[in-house]
Amino acid sequence: MEAMGNGEAGRAAGKPTLAGKYLTFVLGDEEYGVPVLKAREIIKMMDVTPVPQTPRHVRGVINLRGRVIPVVDLRLKFGLPPREAADRTCIIVVDAELPSGCVRMGVVVDGVSEVLTLSGGEIEEAPTLGDGASHEELLGLAKVKGTVKILLDLDRVLGRDGLVLPRPV
Amino acid sequence: MAEGIDPYDELATLAQDPELASMFVAEALDHLGTIEAVVLQLESAPASAGLLDDLFRPFHTIKGNAGALGLASIQEVAHAVESLLDLARAGRHRLAAAEIEVVLGAVDLLTLMIRELPARLAGQPPAELSARRLALITRVDALLGGEAPPDPAAGSPAAVESPPAPLLMRRWDDGQPSIKVDTRKLDNLVDMVGELVIAQAILAEDPALQSASDERLMRRLAQLKRITADLQRTAMAMRMVPVRQTFQKMGRFVRDLSRKAGKPVELQLSGEDTELDRKVVEEISDPLMHMVRNSIDHGIEPPAVREALGKPAVAVLRLSACHQGGSIVIEVADDGAGLDTEKILAKARARGLVPEDASPAAAEIHQLIFQPGFSTADTVTELSGRGVGMDVVRRNIEALRGRIEIHTARGQGTTFSIRLPLTLAIVDGILVGVGAERFVVPTFAVCESLRPSASAVHEVRGRRRLVAVRDRLIPIVHLGELFGIEGAVRDVCEGTLVVVEDNGRFAAVAVDRLLGKQEVVVKALGEAFEHVQGVAGGAILGDGRIGLILDAGGLVASIEKPSLEVAA
Repeated sequence: MEAMGNGEAGRAAGKPTLAGKYLTFVLGDEEYGVPVLKAREIIKMMDVTPVPQTPRHVRGVINLRGRVIPVVDLRLKFGLPPREAADRTCIIVVDAELPSGCVRMGVVVDGVSEVLTLSGGEIEEAPTLGDGASHEELLGLAKVKGTVKILLDLDRVLGRDGLVLPRPV
Repeated sequence: MAEGIDPYDELATLAQDPELASMFVAEALDHLGTIEAVVLQLESAPASAGLLDDLFRPFHTIKGNAGALGLASIQEVAHAVESLLDLARAGRHRLAAAEIEVVLGAVDLLTLMIRELPARLAGQPPAELSARRLALITRVDALLGGEAPPDPAAGSPAAVESPPAPLLMRRWDDGQPSIKVDTRKLDNLVDMVGELVIAQAILAEDPALQSASDERLMRRLAQLKRITADLQRTAMAMRMVPVRQTFQKMGRFVRDLSRKAGKPVELQLSGEDTELDRKVVEEISDPLMHMVRNSIDHGIEPPAVREALGKPAVAVLRLSACHQGGSIVIEVADDGAGLDTEKILAKARARGLVPEDASPAAAEIHQLIFQPGFSTADTVTELSGRGVGMDVVRRNIEALRGRIEIHTARGQGTTFSIRLPLTLAIVDGILVGVGAERFVVPTFAVCESLRPSASAVHEVRGRRRLVAVRDRLIPIVHLGELFGIEGAVRDVCEGTLVVVEDNGRFAAVAVDRLLGKQEVVVKALGEAFEHVQGVAGGAILGDGRIGLILDAGGLVASIEKPSLEVAA
């Protein structure tokens, strides 16, 4: 791993402590994690009603116990090729803090793994990755049991690009 | 003594009991509403013992409650007015114009003080009102001492007599006991009833039950369905409130406006008992105020002009509400000058809204006043005429799925008719299928549906398609193409066309098939999807899945201004 430059160390110091419990899930070949408090519930994949004029990664809306919530496909958001829903595919319901306000929405993932308790020492600052996720959207990388989990700032990830395509003027 | 009250001390009791605090605020504001209504009646009957009593009691109650809760500043103001009213109802002090102004001033001040309580409890500093408090109490003292304080309305034309008060003959409450319920609890209940209805519908459509032939089972299911339907009707009814409060707010508004404009206006109300969905009542208030303002500012002529025309000096403004068919109709009518059709047309032509050679019908010309930025007022008054009004009014009404019509006669007056659905929560719709998706087209927007013959469909410039329906050529909007739906039927002649209308413009929406009529519960899609063109919301269908509710206006607009289309 590249040594952290002064700037990165400075930024890492600025972030609030990252230690805590994370819900980990699978997308393609990678494992990701989000702070467990972000996730309200996990539901099985269900039929999503598509909404027109939305970016590809916005799958549409679902009926969650009488409430209509938008559903985002994280695979598509990260530029992964789309996949048919499989047995383990599920939706994590989160309360996302978007620039426009708090929005309850669902995030489609390939499968949910476990809740991990991570200590500060297990979490490292993430280097800038390629396309798919920019630095701001990563809380860090966790090295646990020989695997690497990518910790996401879900608010930033979901906040990037709106849910609806801008109208042509 | 007024300055000795520490604004922070007095919150101690309320801070300990937030429920008590909100109850006090709600009840006090209710009382202030009653007070305002009674004062307006008193203006035309200042010696009525009954009314004086009706005025005294709520002040007394507010004073008592505020005192018990330690709200010294509120108690002080209420007490001052209460003393004045006590003398009045004992016949020892006459309620003249000066006293009326003081009472109304107290209502305004108390409203401010009470409204800001929740914010103060949350930590915000209080507004600087001690000067006003002092001034009011001083004025009451002066009145009690026998002096008439300077009339603060000295600037307005003295010739204008106090206009006759609105005819508010009904009692504030109709004698039925009622309780206050937190609206969130109510909304929760209504939501759950909605889910129950869906769960019951899913059960009823379950294939296992469909094929069962057990009569007893069928009867029990029917019973369940009946009870659920009843429950839903009751829950929906709980959301309905009478327009009375909104109408009565207008009383004070009209009084103040008519004074400022120097035009005596009599406000007549009818149908205050008519009930509307709570949300609609909230949202209709602003548009109504705007139209009332327009009437008084522009519609109603100054008294001198009216007299010269042989009209009664006091103009009449009528607000009415009634049920008609499945809707509510609210009217704002004045006996003023009516709309100047010529002037409107000229202005529209100057703006390029109407081509030189077109001669639109009078009704179409009148609708032009709803265009943004349109105002034929020669001078912009402080109150209106800035031209930002009527388009916002129409948009607000359309957001409530309503329509607004104008009837006007030059020299006689103008009537605005607003037609609104009884409830926003449910919409009657036609279910249509496109590809694997289902959509709901609100019945109120649908004119007809048809399967076109090939000869009726015309193509213009290889792209835009039109269908001939009787003597009209209507542009076709292919829903599958517009929304990027896979598997949609491509040939419009093999599907169905649903003709929708929005404000006089038509579109023929091409879908695969009609699936039937259904009353659906409307769910907002959320702020995120507010600007999707052609979609007004989501409906939870019988199987629990969501069908998007189409917006006729958006579909019609998509013909002229197509928005971005996304490949599925």
